[in-house]
This record gives sequence, structure tokens and C-alpha cells, in this order.
Amino acid sequence: MTNEAKLQQTVSAPKTKKRKVASLDKKKARAGWVFVLPFVIGFVLVYLPIIWNSIFMSFHSLHIVTGGGYTLEFVGLENYSDALFEDPLFVQTLITGMKELLFDVPAILIFSLFMAVLLNQKMAGRAVFRAIFFIPVILSTGIMESIEGQNILGTMMEGSDSIDGSEQSTASEIVSVMDIERLFYSMKIGKELVEYVVKMINEIYDIVNRSGVQMLIFLAGLQSISPAIYEACRIDGCTAWETFWKITFPMISPMILVNGIYTIIDSFTTDSNSVMKYINSVYQGSDGQVLSSAMAWMYFIIVMLMLALAAGLFSAFVFYQKRD
Amino acid sequence: MDTNMQNTPKITKESKNKIRVEFDRTPLKERLKAKFLNLYFFQQVAWIIFRMVLLVGISYVVLFPFISKIAGSFMSPEDFVDVTVRLIPKNFTLDIYKAVLFELDYWEAFFNTLLISLLCGLLQTFVCCLIGYGLAKFRFKGNNIVMLLVILTMIVPHQTLQLSMFMHFRYFDVLGILSFLSGGASIGFMPDSFNELLAGIQIFKLDDFALPLTNTYWPLAILSATGLAFKNGLYIYMLRQFFTGVPDALEESAYIDGSGVFRTFFTIILPLSIPMMVTVFLFSFCWQWMDDFYTELFFTTSKITLMPDVVDVPTSLKTDYAGQNMYYAAIRNTCGLCIIAPLVILYCFGQNFLVQGIERSGLTAE
Repeated sequence: MTNEAKLQQTVSAPKTKKRKVASLDKKKARAGWVFVLPFVIGFVLVYLPIIWNSIFMSFHSLHIVTGGGYTLEFVGLENYSDALFEDPLFVQTLITGMKELLFDVPAILIFSLFMAVLLNQKMAGRAVFRAIFFIPVILSTGIMESIEGQNILGTMMEGSDSIDGSEQSTASEIVSVMDIERLFYSMKIGKELVEYVVKMINEIYDIVNRSGVQMLIFLAGLQSISPAIYEACRIDGCTAWETFWKITFPMISPMILVNGIYTIIDSFTTDSNSVMKYINSVYQGSDGQVLSSAMAWMYFIIVMLMLALAAGLFSAFVFYQKRD
Repeated sequence: MDTNMQNTPKITKESKNKIRVEFDRTPLKERLKAKFLNLYFFQQVAWIIFRMVLLVGISYVVLFPFISKIAGSFMSPEDFVDVTVRLIPKNFTLDIYKAVLFELDYWEAFFNTLLISLLCGLLQTFVCCLIGYGLAKFRFKGNNIVMLLVILTMIVPHQTLQLSMFMHFRYFDVLGILSFLSGGASIGFMPDSFNELLAGIQIFKLDDFALPLTNTYWPLAILSATGLAFKNGLYIYMLRQFFTGVPDALEESAYIDGSGVFRTFFTIILPLSIPMMVTVFLFSFCWQWMDDFYTELFFTTSKITLMPDVVDVPTSLKTDYAGQNMYYAAIRNTCGLCIIAPLVILYCFGQNFLVQGIERSGLTAE
């Protein structure tokens, strides 16, 4: 018995002494944490407190004490009910904002897909056009956006007959809206569709400005479609129209999902969004800071719901080509 | 014409390596007719013209605001009330530029903003590379959760957080450590004597028991260094997709040769991804340059002049005549032009990186 125990000890002794060496996977896992450490630290120490504080404050009322500092008073859901029932403009703005979103997202998607298909064709000056369409992504943000907001100069220079600031948009010079309306009404394709197209043309500047990134994403997607498929189609006698709907559209559908989500996120976080504008104006107003964060959180929840809805709807129609 | 010439072309041997084939070519007129006088050709030409008109038209829509700003910046006050003046100024003048560049603190703002943008751009590029690489190449527990959190920071609009973000940096404190060290800590459920003891600890003195970081570069630096600044979620996502596309074999061969994880990253992966890093740097630099949200939030006093402060009407140009509103709008637009001028130059050289960066990254792959 003792002998056996001794034997066991002698056998097990080197085992316990042996230094614990982590497997490569474990080492790599540890290294992975080190790589994402800056983000994790920042998230825990900066972002979480900020988010928590923002939610926390939206349940309180804030009093600035003269001479610096502030006091908080718990008021429960008062800010939320104030925003929903007392504030005359918030619900209205919210509804317009949602309507805008419903209009903008398909418009931007359709436009950027159309432009990507155009730019994907071989032609002279393709790189130049691509560069021009990308300009607004860099230059029409932040400061320029706020300057543009109060710009009356552009209206004067576009105006075809007067400088008294009459409502003349850029689009109205390219094609007369009335003409298009008349043309489409005579085609009998439905009043809603006509109104949509007309509105799209009226807001072409806004749409072009906001579809730079989406266009590039579509373009990259189009370039990844194998030319062999198109060749096979041509041999079988497909028209360009059929090729687009039967080949390009299904192949590009994952990109439509990505772009849809990107557009929703992008258009509800920009400063030019009407709800954001309203929330900003409330923030700047007296005693509005807390109210504005309550409003912003409500808006955020609504947009998250819309995002989930859109993602669910889109992803049902997405076609993934199985590779290999 | 010999009839059997058409069927059998005449082949003559000219020299050792050359033969000459003589056959009847269809006359030029016939060939041109066959080539150009058909429906297919007309369709193609019509399509090319239509496409060109469309593209040029939309380019015009994009460029018009800039053209109108440039035109307005050269006009003198009289031109704004003159009905006949549209895009080409009658009284050409550089007054607005002179006033904007030398009366407002343009150059001070320029260098301050340059400093901030460089700082933020470099920090964000490096940190986002680290995070993106970590998320792309290492399968650790919580990988997906971290990715979800990154996306969360992208989705929550920064306006939602502006109040608490301001408060956080106005009274900056990490887990209450600073307030503890300066004697401002108190715990509600503890007896008063304990709280007095806590208040007695005063290693250094701070107003409000916290560091005021507003009106310094620190808030932006902290946000950049932790990958939380403007649009950083997007950069991280782009870089993650890019690094996922880098073949694993590269790293594996480096590991086999005895290189550690970090050495592999710095000597193999980073040099490989320089074009992608340039893209991210350009994006972050430009967006930081144009930013007015964070700068107005964190710089409340005018101690440090930044680009948003430049948008103003210089005192020497103040007038009170009929076209005043137009004139002031033109001045503000000129300020905008002066602000974006460096970026335009940057865009001319770097647009390939910006445009191709999105294509190169696998932003499209999912």
C-alpha cells in the first residue's frame, strides 16, 4: 500500500511541478482580449456611465445651482409624459420624422442602386463621376451642413426670374415638375406612385447628398458578380431588363439589406433629421436638457423597432449565393 | 472581277516569314453602312447620350452649391441687389476673402483644428486597427458581444448622449477614484463619522471633486483612444471586414517562425493594410475637421479657437443696406469655403483611397 502510494507520488510529482503551458488557442484568445482592450475599457469606464447617466437623468429634473453644480430631483416618468402629452410639437415632429424616414430610405436605395448600375458600365470619365458623387460624404457634413441650413444665397442664384426668395429648387430647372406630373398622370400608373416620383425629383439634392456611401457599396457588390452569369444570360437571349431583375437584383440583395440598415441609421442620426433638429432646439432652450434626453431615448426606441422591422422584412427576401 | 477570287483568296509568299492574302474586301461604304445604319447602333448611341446627360446633370446638382458659394465669394455688396447678376460677379472683389482670412482668427483656428484632427485621426486609425484586428482574427469568448457593443455605439445617436457626455467630461471622474482622493466621497448608508473620515482624505484639491476636462483636448483624445468617437463603429466594422479577408496562412507562418502575436501584428499585418489605414485616417481626419457637434459641446468658452468659431461676419464688412441678408449669407459661405479648402486639396489627392477603401474593405461581404 505504502509502496503504491510512494509510487504514485513519484509519478505524480513531476506532473504537478510541470509549468502550466496554455494552448495556442488559449494564448490567442488572451491576445484577442488585449487587442480589444481599449474599446472594452472605454465602453465600461466612459460609454456605460454616459448611457446610464443619460437614462438616469431622463427620469429626473435638473436644477442648475448658481455658482456651479446642479441638483437632481426624481420625477419618475414626468419627462416622458411631458414630451408625449404636454409638448405640442414633439408627437407631430415624430410622425413627420417617421414619414420622412419611410420616404427617404427607399428613395436613397433606389437612387443609389440606379447610379451604381450606371457607373458600373464601361465609359469615359467613370472615375471622375464616381469622385464627384462622393464629394458630399466628405464636404457636406458638420459645419457645412449648418451653414447650408441658413443659406439663402443658393436660392437667389438658382432663381430663374426673381431674387425675392421664391421657392425654386435645383430640380425645377432640370425638369419641370408639372410636366412630369402631367406625363405620368396620363400614363395611369397610380396617383401615389406619381407623387412619390415627383417628391423624389424635388428632393434630388438631398437624396444625392446622402447616397454617396451606399452607391459605392452597391458598386462593389455589382463588380463582384461573375461576368460568366451575364454571358450565359446573353447567350440565352435575355434582354437587359430581364437580366437586371433575374440576375443583378437577386445577386445584389444582400447589399440592399446592408444599405437599408446603413441608411436608416445614417438618416436618423444626422443633424438634418427633423426630429433631431427639434430635440436639439429643445436642448438649447431653457430647462430643456433633461426633456431632450427623454425625447431622444423615445426616438431611439422607435427607430430601433423600425430597424428590427426593416431588417426582418428585408432579410426574408435576401438571396445568398452559396459559394463553393 | 474574277468570280472564283471571292471563294479562294490568293495567297502569295512575300518573304520568308510573311505571306500576303489578297481577297475582295467589301467596299468601305458598305462596311460603314452595315456598322452604323442599324437599330442596335442607334440604341447604343441613344443610351450613351442619355447616360451622359443624366450623369452630368446629377454632377451639376452635387457641384452647384459649391459653385454658387464660389461665385458669391467674389461679389461686392452692390452685386447682391443687382437683378442682372446671377453667377458671374459684376464688381469682382477679394474683400470677403481678405476679411475672413485676416480679421477672423482663421489661422489660429486652422492650426488648432489641424492639431485636433491629426491627433484624433492618428489615434482613431491606430485604435480601430487594434480593435478590428482583435475582432477579426481571434475567436475568444465574448467576441460577438464586443462586436454587438461596437454596433450599439454606432446606432445610438450622439445627440441622445450630449447632456450626459458634457456632464461626464465637465466633472470627469473614473469610478469615483478622483473624488475619493480629493475628499469628496460619501457613501449614503454609512454613518456620518465614516463619511467625515472619507472627507478628510485630501491628497490633492479639486473644484467640485472632479476634473473639468471641457475646453481642453482631453475629451476628444479619450473618446478617440477608446474607439468611441464619431463614426468609429463604422471604421471598426470596415477594418474588421478587411482583416477577415487577410489569409490566415500569413500569420500562421509567422507564428511557426517564432513571432509573437503582437510582433506579427506590427511587422506583418500593419504594413499590409496601409492603404486601408490611409482610408480610415482620411475619413476620421475629414470628419473631425468638419465636426461642429463635439467641438461645440466640449469647447464652451472661446479660449481655444476652432473652425466653427470662424463662421462669422467680420466687423469691417458689417453694413446695413438693402442686400444685407444676402451679403451676410455670402460671407458665411465664404467662411465655409475657407474651412473646406484644405480638405478639397486633400480630396484631390486622396479620393482614390476614400472611394476604393469602401470597395476594398469587405463592407459589402455581409
